[in-house]
Amino acid sequence: FLRRPGSASKDVVTGRLKNPFVKVEDRSRRYRPFYLQFHIFPALNYCVPKPCSPFEVEKKLPSAPKQTQPKQRNKPNSDKDCGTPLHLPQKDKKKRGYCECCGKKYEDLYTHLESEQHQTFAQSTEYRIVDEIISKFVYQFVEYKDDAKKLKRTKCST
Amino acid sequence: TAGMKKDIERLYEAVPQLVNVFKIKEKIGEGTFSSVYLATAQLQTGHEEKMALKHLIPTSHPLRIAAELQCLTVAGGQDNVMGVKYCFRKNDHVVIVMPYLEHESFLDILNSLSFEEVREYMFNLFKALRRIHHFGIVHRDVKPSNFLYNRQLKEYALVDFGLAQGTHDTKIELLKTAYSEDQQGSCLQNNPTIPLGNGVSVNVTVPKQIAQQSASKPSDKKFISHSKIQIKEGREGKEGSVHHSVQRSVFGERNFNVYSSTYQQSSSTKVIKHSKMIDVSSRKLVTKKKIISTKALNNGTARKAASGCSLNLICDCYATDKVCSVCLSRCQQVAPRAGTPGFRAPEVLTKCPTQTTAIDMWSAGIIFLSLLSGRYPFYKASDDLTALAQIMTVRGSRETIQAAKTFGKSVLCTQVVAAQNLRTLCEKLRGTNSSSKRSQGEVPSKSVSDSTLPAAGDKLSAPETLGKQIQHLKSIQEGDGALEMKAADMKGWDQVPDEAYDLLDKLLDLNPATRITAKEAMQHPFFKDMRP
Repeated sequence: FLRRPGSASKDVVTGRLKNPFVKVEDRSRRYRPFYLQFHIFPALNYCVPKPCSPFEVEKKLPSAPKQTQPKQRNKPNSDKDCGTPLHLPQKDKKKRGYCECCGKKYEDLYTHLESEQHQTFAQSTEYRIVDEIISKFVYQFVEYKDDAKKLKRTKCST
Repeated sequence: TAGMKKDIERLYEAVPQLVNVFKIKEKIGEGTFSSVYLATAQLQTGHEEKMALKHLIPTSHPLRIAAELQCLTVAGGQDNVMGVKYCFRKNDHVVIVMPYLEHESFLDILNSLSFEEVREYMFNLFKALRRIHHFGIVHRDVKPSNFLYNRQLKEYALVDFGLAQGTHDTKIELLKTAYSEDQQGSCLQNNPTIPLGNGVSVNVTVPKQIAQQSASKPSDKKFISHSKIQIKEGREGKEGSVHHSVQRSVFGERNFNVYSSTYQQSSSTKVIKHSKMIDVSSRKLVTKKKIISTKALNNGTARKAASGCSLNLICDCYATDKVCSVCLSRCQQVAPRAGTPGFRAPEVLTKCPTQTTAIDMWSAGIIFLSLLSGRYPFYKASDDLTALAQIMTVRGSRETIQAAKTFGKSVLCTQVVAAQNLRTLCEKLRGTNSSSKRSQGEVPSKSVSDSTLPAAGDKLSAPETLGKQIQHLKSIQEGDGALEMKAADMKGWDQVPDEAYDLLDKLLDLNPATRITAKEAMQHPFFKDMRP
């Protein structure tokens, strides 16, 4: 990393990528470039037994290929990147996620589903668009008679 | 298991209409956005039938649910595209009922398929893709676990429109609404840290930009970006032992045994990451985001960020090995990238904002590549640029860079890797064929001694050509692989026609504009004797 006093604007910090790397940038130059520096550039390996990927990495070796990557947040779309660091699998994996209905992230699915905001949405008329499609289906089932279950089948939807 | 029983009970509870109609047997799939159950139902026709019940995650927006249903109703039910029987809803719980197709695990059968079966498989995949593309549906997640295959019945079904998007002229009304043409960048929320290898990171001062959603949207067109990720953890075996864990096909769902790769990251921290099979990012409905930038002042050095991507600062890093605080402070480009890592087309990997049905054809090409090479998954990458690098090692770095230009991307790669001859590649990976020797310039030996003939004689039927016999014998002499092939009786793999590799080449066309379409693929000479 070097500071370049003579550069167009002061305090521009510039760095050089280390070989080998791949760098991608939109030709409009309006967006952030993204790049990946490899410890070892991928190579086809014909010795990996079938049906494994010829790019299967032998990780047992201490010298296993390491990937030096930009931190997630330096990568475009990183907040949603497939490699986003995740908390290791918890025992009862917290079902974290994003609720499209409420427009917010949640830490625990079930807690969120029971929240007032979500429940309000769940019982709202927002689902009319779904019901409209459902109304066009032909109902072709016969109820199992034998069942001891007494929950009554209410006519579909709402 | 107890967990599964509980899930089934919960489902009955959430959607009580199911109680007397379905006998839910088991959960057959679980993904980020849904779970799929196998059930039986009594039909008015008098038959009991197996059904697949897809329970969508209750956080799905009604618009998304409706769009998936519309894909199934409009495009589904024929030409190998899964259809829908019915749909139940109670509040936010929606269950889609589909016919159940018993199907094979791709990994299990991959190396036992005859060449003819591969031809049929691909033909039927194109039939499904032609159908959905005709309706302007981009599936986005074409892969073996979403293309159900019943080998005995020769039945096929393309499933799961949970990530589908519409083309600009889509005939699926609801995909129009849901079509996100969001081409604005989203900006970072933090001052970036620039890591430069060797664990060195440098903090740079840049404007802090905060992306915000515009609040002024009609409610049914609301937002939905930045879906947070939930993962089916399938931690790859300790120390990365190869994941042969059965990839069970699960009716359009991400598998229980999803394999994920563990990569070591930054050398100093050795953070373990897990890749996920599905990327939620583009699970984005509609919406234009408005980006509001604020500045984080730091000694007054921060540049004023006007607004999101209109921020247009110049630096001289473009197409060089340099990055600086100027270019890295720009917004990231937003482009759809939902799907599964190893199946993403180059234009997806490089974040090309305009993506077409051609991305599905690329994915079909990857499936074909697996079938021809006997390798699955073929590409194994935990991130987009590793995937791109792997593509370059097969298709060539120069070629990849060239093609990327056509869709507006500058790709710089320090490694110059030559394009592979697809036949040679596949035959070497399949590891069995004498013709791979041929393509390497070796002449098959004609001096097969008579003494070896009887050994193979019973396997060979009279009409077979001498050349084929010789190849066969030669392969037998080659040991293990050859024995395997003898057992499989070649199954046509000794005579893969050039047309196969020509079609593969056209599917894996790095340029989406010239990549073969599903309709064209069905007309390809590779399928000459098959009727559309």
